[in-house]
Amino acid sequence: MIKSLRVAGLLSFTSVKRGNVGIILLTILILSLVSLNLLFIPGLLHGLVTGANNQLRNTYSGDIIVESNTVNPLLNNVENLINKISAIDGVAAATPRNSLGAEFVFENERTAALVYGVQPDTETNVFTISKSMIDGSYLSPDDRDQIVLGIQLAGADKPNLELYARSLLKVHAGDKVDLTYGNGIQRTYTVKGIFNTEFLQTDAQAFVSQAEMQSVNPLAEGSAESINIKVTKDADITGIIEKINGIESGLKVLKWQDYAGIVRSLTDSFNVINTILNVVNLLIAGITVFIVTYIDVANRRRQIGVQRAIGITPGSIILSYLIRAVFYAVIAIVLSLLLFTFVVAPFEAKYPFHFPFGAVDLVVGWPDILHMTVIVLSVSLVASFLPAQGMMRMKIMDAIWG
Amino acid sequence: MYEIKELTKIYNMDKVRVSALNSVSFVVPDAALVSIMGRSGSGKSTLLRQMGLIDRSTSGTIIFDGKDVTNLPEGERAKLRLGYLGYVFQEYALLGELTTLQNVYLPGMMLNGVGNYKNRAAELLELVGLGKRVTHYPKELSGGEQQRVAIARALINNPRVLLADEPCANLDTVSSKNVMEILVRLNREFQVTIIFVSHDPADKKYADSIITLSDGRIIETSDSSHD
Repeated sequence: MIKSLRVAGLLSFTSVKRGNVGIILLTILILSLVSLNLLFIPGLLHGLVTGANNQLRNTYSGDIIVESNTVNPLLNNVENLINKISAIDGVAAATPRNSLGAEFVFENERTAALVYGVQPDTETNVFTISKSMIDGSYLSPDDRDQIVLGIQLAGADKPNLELYARSLLKVHAGDKVDLTYGNGIQRTYTVKGIFNTEFLQTDAQAFVSQAEMQSVNPLAEGSAESINIKVTKDADITGIIEKINGIESGLKVLKWQDYAGIVRSLTDSFNVINTILNVVNLLIAGITVFIVTYIDVANRRRQIGVQRAIGITPGSIILSYLIRAVFYAVIAIVLSLLLFTFVVAPFEAKYPFHFPFGAVDLVVGWPDILHMTVIVLSVSLVASFLPAQGMMRMKIMDAIWG
Repeated sequence: MYEIKELTKIYNMDKVRVSALNSVSFVVPDAALVSIMGRSGSGKSTLLRQMGLIDRSTSGTIIFDGKDVTNLPEGERAKLRLGYLGYVFQEYALLGELTTLQNVYLPGMMLNGVGNYKNRAAELLELVGLGKRVTHYPKELSGGEQQRVAIARALINNPRVLLADEPCANLDTVSSKNVMEILVRLNREFQVTIIFVSHDPADKKYADSIITLSDGRIIETSDSSHD
């Protein structure tokens, strides 16, 4: 085996050293692009899913959601419940929320949305919405007659918005909007601020202070429709849920994943797309290496015949092609990693893709790199083995003299 | 060394059967210097390829060193070619991407893996007068020089037999003489059995015995008296 390896090493080294530079560079370039694609697509998928999940947790659900599991849809004695929840190890913050549907009117535009009553001082510890204000400012605990709107609701003179046609079109901070709540109560609010989290479902919401909500809906006093919880980094969410369930009966405690149905369906679709693109990529890589090896083997038919005639084993000759294929593949993989790290990822970070879940960063981990490496190496090996092996079936006489 | 019995080779070319060798029988003793002669198309090269285990005969037997090697599997034939037989092609057949030295030591590397095959290759190149051309590539050498490299390559594993197929066919007179003298020297000094194919009657003088072929049959076997 060592002998074969040494001979194969010599043959492959000299063939690369003395080979056609153009063909070698072209092969490496194509393999690099395929490798890059094998990093890019999963990276985009992971980035999309990670980004969507983060948006969901940071702007929509929190990490854990506590709701009532009784006929009464409201959690009572909320302050006491929040104190108990906050005392659990691993809970970073908890905030109550109430909501009520309302019709919004601004000038001639009408639309409907949910209005959430929130405690701004605790809300900002659970959600990051307050950091996404693009106009005006976020709520303060004492705010009354003021509302903050998501950009998809306000419109804000941005026709490119996904839900612009269903929005109030031209609302900005300082404007006054008229609301008619589902219980018939009417209010006129000054828009204190407009936020844009880039998470579509959050950006179609509106927020008023808990005190304002209680004035509209007296049932909300001392009660909450939900308590949204943020946990510390690396906290055991399942353990925390168990402890919350132990506080009192009648609680429905959900993980953020229970709200992530839309993300899951998106992930499934992207996995299918990813698989299809990967197969196409691998076919391109395989066919490229196959053609290059096939042409090389055909051009060297006589030389291979001579090698066999002087006693070089077919195994050594095939091995020389495999070594060369590995050499091309390794260079291509390294090149693709460098391209990804220093060109594609920074470029994408500067000009990110925008999805309904927000800007997406490319997320590539070691498993993705390992996966790409194994696939590119395997395809290169198989694609170079087949034509080389085919040539070994030819008689020495035919190889040398045709 | 060699015992050839009733060796026949028929090529099927389209629907035509061409008999290249027809019941050829002869014996080559150890350390002999044999010339296979005949006109073009007489079957000389075909016979040498059968003896060099590069091609397979249609029928007949090849005994090498007392062992029937006619129907050995390809792996066993490759081992014999590597370790016991040296083959010099008419068209040099050097590997263009390897230097002179690498061309010579490649079969040595295959046989031994480690060891002093590089030194041995350098010695052989010295022996054939190319000690200063070790780093040259084949295309940088003349035809005669390439043929001498091919001879050195054929000798790298100390073969019992050196088979040379028209080694001087593409060479000028001076190079031809040079190559033939090397073959004679290998036979005389190192007792390597040499079997060479030639169509040039002038080469008879180098051989101990001459086998003459015509239309795939031996028409004459004779000893040669050296000038």
